[in-house]
Amino acid sequence: MKNKIHSALASSKADYTEIRIEEKESVRVAFRGKNLEVANANSDRGGMVRCLVKDKGWGVATFNDLDDLRSKVDQAYRCARVGSVLEPIELSPAEPVVTTLSASMRNDFRLVPLSDKKALVEYYNGILLGFDGRIVDTRAIYADSFSRIIFANSEGSWIEQEKPSAAFMAVAIAKEGDNVQQGIESVATNGEDGWDVVLGRDELARKAARTALGLLTAKPVKAGRYTVVANPKLASVFIHEAFGHLSEADFIYENPKAREMMTLGRRFGKGILNVYDDGSIPGLRGTTLYDDEGTPARRNWLIREGVLVGRLHSRQTAAKMGESPTGNARAVSYRFAPIVRMTNTAIDNGTTSFEDMIGDIELGIYACDYYGGETKFEDFSFSSGHAWMIRDGKIAEMAKDVTLAGNLFTTLDNVDAVGNDFAWDESPSGCGKFGQVPLHVGQGAPHIRVRDVVIGGE
Amino acid sequence: MDILKHLVDQCGQAEIMVLRDEKTLVEFEANQLKTCTVAETKGVAVRVISAGKQGFAASSDARSLERLASNALDSASYGDTAAFSFAAPVEARAIRTYDGTVAELSIERLVSMGRELADIVLAVEPDARCKIAISRSVVDKNIRNHRGLNVECRSSPLSIYMGVDRIEGDDMLIISDQLGTTVWDDDYLALARRLAEKLRLSRRTASVKPGRMPVLFSPVGALALSMPLCEGLNGKEVCKGNSPIANKVGERLFDPRISIVDDGTMNGRFASSAYDDEGVPRRRNALIENGRLMGFIYDLKTAAESGIESTGNASRGLFSPANPAFTNLCIEPGETPLAEIIAGMDEGIIVEDVLGLGMGNTISGVFSNPVALAFKVEHGEIVGRAKGLSIAGNVYELLKELGAISRESEWVYGANQAPYILIPDMSVAGGDGAGS
Repeated sequence: MKNKIHSALASSKADYTEIRIEEKESVRVAFRGKNLEVANANSDRGGMVRCLVKDKGWGVATFNDLDDLRSKVDQAYRCARVGSVLEPIELSPAEPVVTTLSASMRNDFRLVPLSDKKALVEYYNGILLGFDGRIVDTRAIYADSFSRIIFANSEGSWIEQEKPSAAFMAVAIAKEGDNVQQGIESVATNGEDGWDVVLGRDELARKAARTALGLLTAKPVKAGRYTVVANPKLASVFIHEAFGHLSEADFIYENPKAREMMTLGRRFGKGILNVYDDGSIPGLRGTTLYDDEGTPARRNWLIREGVLVGRLHSRQTAAKMGESPTGNARAVSYRFAPIVRMTNTAIDNGTTSFEDMIGDIELGIYACDYYGGETKFEDFSFSSGHAWMIRDGKIAEMAKDVTLAGNLFTTLDNVDAVGNDFAWDESPSGCGKFGQVPLHVGQGAPHIRVRDVVIGGE
Repeated sequence: MDILKHLVDQCGQAEIMVLRDEKTLVEFEANQLKTCTVAETKGVAVRVISAGKQGFAASSDARSLERLASNALDSASYGDTAAFSFAAPVEARAIRTYDGTVAELSIERLVSMGRELADIVLAVEPDARCKIAISRSVVDKNIRNHRGLNVECRSSPLSIYMGVDRIEGDDMLIISDQLGTTVWDDDYLALARRLAEKLRLSRRTASVKPGRMPVLFSPVGALALSMPLCEGLNGKEVCKGNSPIANKVGERLFDPRISIVDDGTMNGRFASSAYDDEGVPRRRNALIENGRLMGFIYDLKTAAESGIESTGNASRGLFSPANPAFTNLCIEPGETPLAEIIAGMDEGIIVEDVLGLGMGNTISGVFSNPVALAFKVEHGEIVGRAKGLSIAGNVYELLKELGAISRESEWVYGANQAPYILIPDMSVAGGDGAGS
């Protein structure tokens, strides 16, 4: 394969050419209710060639047939020549990288037989089903994958990376009359834990069941504006949706008005707010030691003491904006060219204890976990998994169907307390952008308090 | 090797799906043509039923058919109980899903279509930034099984996505529209005209006082209502006991003006095909007729569990097993002209698009979404864009009594046809002052 890739790169007539080859083996075991839905293994193998003709554009070829890479390079080159950009596309200069990164797992999930994987998921599913007669349906899902990715470009880079990932999710669905509620818990590793990450998770399954049952008697929240305390898991998806996407430079680099709006030095929040993206931390969900253009990962501060100080780049967006590439050009698989994406995004730890954070809230909401979030940059949405009312400084009754809406510019500034209990979200989170989904991303935060959040409801 | 024969020899019941997809894609970024892509996908997915248990495996690696076969058999040895058999060969009515005009669209033609789309929007809003993706594909799907089924489905999907960003200071407007079809559509510029109209209507903002008010859902906005409903109409949720309407077939649950049909047999539509992904002929399934619940959608497995026939709604990707999924989902139009509905609204909003679609505990019928784009209506006139609003409700309550359903309907997100739907009185949060 090495010779084939080198000779295909050498044959290219483009200004810049890269080839990425990926082989992925994945296993999935899924129970739904009493039944096993699937226990199986899949193999996916394919490649991508991307060519740049500077004064024309990009050409991309993706394929499963790896026999004739030279013809794929030629196809991508011909595609690139169709483009018609107004100004030549430049890439930030990069030192060629030649390296091999192998993954080592303490307990390699590839060595665990499918029968053991099935047995463990069945056991957790049994905990969910047996918890209470009102649990009418469950999902207990285990998934692992092991990818080997070769990246090579016409500048001499050759990077081989192995990427393991294992995840477990437990969903309990409780029903009483027409009232149907869900509790969801999950855990994942992209690091050396391997199979260990799913062992001893009885409590995780029980927690999902307890949440679903608790929500059966929870009341919907009355619509309005509330002070919201978000738990670390929800705060972490908040920073991903509310701010992270706007820091992806592909949104602003060719739009003068967007660049103006996102001028470095602009104040986005109070001095207690610090935000970074970091693909270099070992073992996290979004860890990307070299991105899909071969740029090494590093910590990129986005907000420091409330002020915008940086953003996320590919080589193309960095060159255009006169900044440095940040290691954020990522592709979800060989079926796509890389685009600017987050890696592990976090609100840095603060100093406020949880008790102090809720202590002076007369009426507020303690919102926990999430179903999901979406952003249209200025406006964003995230739905919490479950919530509690805060009354007179204390956690009171459970509440359900809490969806938080906000405006980036006002909401970030309304973060008036940052907790001292930072945690990375352990769930198998995936992000979608321009059809590339689910890209593994990590996110972390301590508890945060946000004033004046719009909550929809009856 | 003939993998089907090999698997049948091993375990009696087997099914093989071979997928080939060739796609050409052009992408405009910031109004400029920037990337052209040719994507070829090939893969094989197999299912077996061995000793009453189902196994599944898939691969895109043509070198390893033996591995694929052994993975499938391995999967079956742990697999779920399969109380069904793979599809018997049944001749389906021919459905038009392939059009040489689409399949042969040149890359230059795709580029010129993109420019025409951008020009329509830029004429209205010169500072806007358009992101456009146009793709045309030829997809061949072959499904064979041990019962002699051998169906070949060829389609030529044409997809257009167009997103427009407009930024003024800290005011960001991001809107998008999509077209999906399998035959050539002369009116492919309609989506750009709709976007241009939305940009024009958004030039002014209007503030909305939160509270209860009439809310008119556009065909895109109506997805906030139909998505929770679709969960309840999915046979899988019925089998699992989750659907709140599982035992209510024949009952009148909704306003008598509501009729919903899932129809995979419409010529040229995005989700049409002669056969579903298990080789069962697609059908027209009336789900709600004049407010009365008629039935649900099923694949072979969920149908067998329910003791009925598959409704031809099996859907699967190469690497995922079959599940019931909607094809072309049509909410039937009503009788009131749209202009008349708007003229009759004293003070309310038109919801054009929401954020967080499908997120939340939607199986219960509940939805709660920030509104991505809404217009305020005052005394029967659209007066401007209303920002910072959120809507919430339960579709099983809200759809019991409607204000009106428009005569006009549109195809949105490729395979959803919907009219404008007026909910006479619902909760709207946020907003106060945010729009001024």
